[in-house]
Amino acid sequence: MTAALLVLAAALQAAPAQAPAIPDSPDKLVFEPLAYTPPRAADHRVVLKNGMVVFIAEDPTLPLVDIAVTIRTGGYLDPAGQEGLATLTGSLLRNGGTSTLTADQLDERLDFLAARVATSIGETAGTATLNCLAENLDDSLRLFVQVLKDPRFQEDRLALTKDQALQEMTRRNDDPEDIERREWNVLLYGEGRAVNRFTTEASIRSVTRPDLVAFHRRYFHPAGMIAAVSGAFSRAEMIRKLEAAFAGWPGTRPEVPPVPSDVSTAPAGLYRIQKEVPQGRVSMGLPMVKRDSPDIYALEVMNEILGGSGFVSRITRTVRSNEGLAYSAGSALRFGIYYPGAFRALFQSKSRTVTWATQLVLDEMKKMREEPVTAEELDTIERSLVETFPSNFDSKAKSMALFATDEYTRRDPAFWATYRDRIRAVTAADVQRVARQHLAPEKLVVLVVGDQKEIDIGDGKHQVALPALAPGGHVVTLPLRDPMTMKLP
Amino acid sequence: MDGNLVYKSSVGSHSMNAPRVARVVLPLLFLAAIPAPKPRIEVAELTLGNGMRWLLFPRHDAPTVSAGWVAHVGSVNEREGITGISHLFEHMMFKGTRTIGTRDIEADLKIIAEQEKVRELMRSELKVMRERLRRGEIDDLLKPENQTARYRELEAQFDDLVAKQRDVIVKDQMDQIYTRNGGEELNAFTTEDLTAYFVRLPSNRLELWAWLESDRLIDPVFREFYSERDVVFEERRMRTESTPLGKFDEAFNALFWEAHPYKWPVVGWPSDIPAITKEQADEYFKTYYAPNNLTGILVGDFDPAEARATIERYFARVPRGAKDPPEMVTMEPQQLGEKRYIAEAETSPTVRIWWHAVPFMHRDRTPLDLVSDLLTGRTGRLYKSLVLGSQIANQVEASVDLRKYAGSFQVESVVKEGKDPSEVEAAIHEEIRRLRDEPVPAEEMQKVKNQGKASAFRRLSSPFSIAIQLLYYDGLGDWKYINSYADEVDAVTAADIQRVARTYFTKENRTVGVFLRKEAEASPAPATAPGEGAR
Repeated sequence: MTAALLVLAAALQAAPAQAPAIPDSPDKLVFEPLAYTPPRAADHRVVLKNGMVVFIAEDPTLPLVDIAVTIRTGGYLDPAGQEGLATLTGSLLRNGGTSTLTADQLDERLDFLAARVATSIGETAGTATLNCLAENLDDSLRLFVQVLKDPRFQEDRLALTKDQALQEMTRRNDDPEDIERREWNVLLYGEGRAVNRFTTEASIRSVTRPDLVAFHRRYFHPAGMIAAVSGAFSRAEMIRKLEAAFAGWPGTRPEVPPVPSDVSTAPAGLYRIQKEVPQGRVSMGLPMVKRDSPDIYALEVMNEILGGSGFVSRITRTVRSNEGLAYSAGSALRFGIYYPGAFRALFQSKSRTVTWATQLVLDEMKKMREEPVTAEELDTIERSLVETFPSNFDSKAKSMALFATDEYTRRDPAFWATYRDRIRAVTAADVQRVARQHLAPEKLVVLVVGDQKEIDIGDGKHQVALPALAPGGHVVTLPLRDPMTMKLP
Repeated sequence: MDGNLVYKSSVGSHSMNAPRVARVVLPLLFLAAIPAPKPRIEVAELTLGNGMRWLLFPRHDAPTVSAGWVAHVGSVNEREGITGISHLFEHMMFKGTRTIGTRDIEADLKIIAEQEKVRELMRSELKVMRERLRRGEIDDLLKPENQTARYRELEAQFDDLVAKQRDVIVKDQMDQIYTRNGGEELNAFTTEDLTAYFVRLPSNRLELWAWLESDRLIDPVFREFYSERDVVFEERRMRTESTPLGKFDEAFNALFWEAHPYKWPVVGWPSDIPAITKEQADEYFKTYYAPNNLTGILVGDFDPAEARATIERYFARVPRGAKDPPEMVTMEPQQLGEKRYIAEAETSPTVRIWWHAVPFMHRDRTPLDLVSDLLTGRTGRLYKSLVLGSQIANQVEASVDLRKYAGSFQVESVVKEGKDPSEVEAAIHEEIRRLRDEPVPAEEMQKVKNQGKASAFRRLSSPFSIAIQLLYYDGLGDWKYINSYADEVDAVTAADIQRVARTYFTKENRTVGVFLRKEAEASPAPATAPGEGAR
């Protein structure tokens, strides 16, 4: 082969016109910049004549319509002794018929239209959602508004729902995960608080139909509702439909007492609950700030580095990836809206390795306070939070729901516009400062649900006993509650 | 608007080498003129020279791409002794390659080889321990006190090698790279039939995905194999052994299937997981992870022509397997008589009935699906009869579980406290009898058809969810199910419902489970540790 041909052949092999060679490291790849501007709530906000706030967006992708209504109410408004009233009201709105349709008729009508209507009342808000085919919008919307405005609260359906709730109660101690979640909330926030009360057999039995009627009359009015609306429609026409559908509602804007903000956290310590399972469940943490704190950005970065972003975070790496002690290991951080949020590190490990894994997590929390995070960790997390920011708005339905929640909870409208810059501004010193301030070891609560005797045997490799890890040396053995009364024996 | 949801048939398969005809969508005006939209997505298919298939669906709602690939292998391809290897393998695919996850590949491989030598010696000790277990001298291979002194000594040596390896590896580097590039939902799942890997990325990072994924298909290194095996066992403890019904579900499933490999759990039997070797995993990769056994998926904000070029550049270099993976040939024999399973568990009284049904590709799949819709939900026949009517149950639902090679139809009901489970079982059989003996009225048929049509649209709501469905249904053998479902629903007649009810819902074809609440022990925990003395 001649030299010229060789050169030509090499050129063809090495560089076909539009296919450059594959770099030997992904770090060498170069990406086009991606500018992203989030949608603005104000562009979608409409106030109906009856005072109802609506966030609305056309989305012709599919021939469907989504309406999600948030109602200013909540389980915190249950009268003492009637815990579960709000939950039952939320459930019976959908399940108990309307003034013109029996429960059976309503169910049949909605199912024939293939319209999904769901209602519920949670701790601090009520929600009602409709998802229907655009071609059935008028019929579906009419039924949806009837459900919200003129519920029948049919007696036999109330009896059934109460019976289902009572049977659910019998299962309260069956799954260790349920025990852990419930007792964790009690340790963190206290038992008697308005937002953290248990339903009991007596409280459910005490709820009657007139109670539901009164609860509904007191809190349901369009002026206390915020709707997120998206789908295949024209905006102007949909606003007309909503004006008509929610018009003529009796009463006025409800007076709703604010959500109480007090909490009562258990003393620092180790709390142990016996449950005979081969794997112990461990939660460790403490109350955190509300979301109006200036520290939320640094705290979010701290949590992501400590345990909030899977394999990139320290707890997951240490407990799972290095030691193979758990499938699930990490941490979660929640900022409170009405009362302090919480930091919670958690994992599940076979009984014998619970103690060693607890030690490892405590060490990671300590390290967070004592040493600054690395530049690489900080860069990875900040880039991740900034790059994934658009996912908050990745569908019209999601964006509208987010705006509705922000309106309901009165979030600062500047939050989304400034979020990425605030995250980018967090330094390693900020992270260490908030860790020192908020991850206070003297306030730490540790909950261990599992087979305590097996846990105490240990792994035979590490000389550490679980009680020695108790914050403040304080160890409490908690018995299981009676599932129907929630009383401790 | 997003015009990619089109209302015509999807295009056929064509090779990457065919002329570059962009499979563009129909113009918007034409779409708007069609009065009754059908739930369809226009997916372009292509096949690389090495046999790797691709499904591409552009949709521009958000500046992200959901990307993944599915390996046509799952627990159905295993055998006793290595049950759980497909799932363990899924975990291992995140452990890096010759490039990713290491600072010094040669030193790394040398340590891995030394680790394997120690493990081989540990396996000899395990043989001794199993022998002791069979003699009744010890009770559990996993308890440290039951291990031989030699085993513990070897384990300490092994732990030293793990510590040494930490100096040369870069922990979870693939996760790190994806995370700092805006990757979300990075994960994988394993079923009886398939193993799927996926992530969602900013749309400008498609090439990064191609780099990392093709790299792990060419040169994976299964480092940290044994600690990951422990992680998988913890996953089993969490999902199966520490939940109220986990082990019972596993036992019921094993009773239902007699010969079929569907009888063992995807996560693997507890004896098998800790026995799987790295050598077996290497072999598994060679057999099942060749490109001719894989399908890649892209859904979201990408340019089809550019994406094709990137795919060709990165994935065409993955070498085809030496031979095609072996076919799974075992078929479930016809069940000859009803089977029953009765257990006490920490749960409300529950009745469960499973009938053998059909594989996913079977022409009766949609009639069976509609049968489950007729029975389930607030206005379903079972709820109306058992919960609202005779008030003997508080919950009831019916579903189909159609896998690649075989399937089942399932009914489950939570019995009201104080009511007799046998009454609930009889009431379920009565509703099944009605399906066999009486044609479903037209209005009721129309109701479930309306619901089928609406759900066909709902499942197309999010690009990420579409990507997962493409992975899943391609893994079962027919991604076009997403597009054909609505038409299949339309075609079902009342006579079809009656026919499938008569064919599959027979007494000898069913397995019945009854779970009763296990009474709490009156005395506190026994003095000896659980397991001790238990034989």
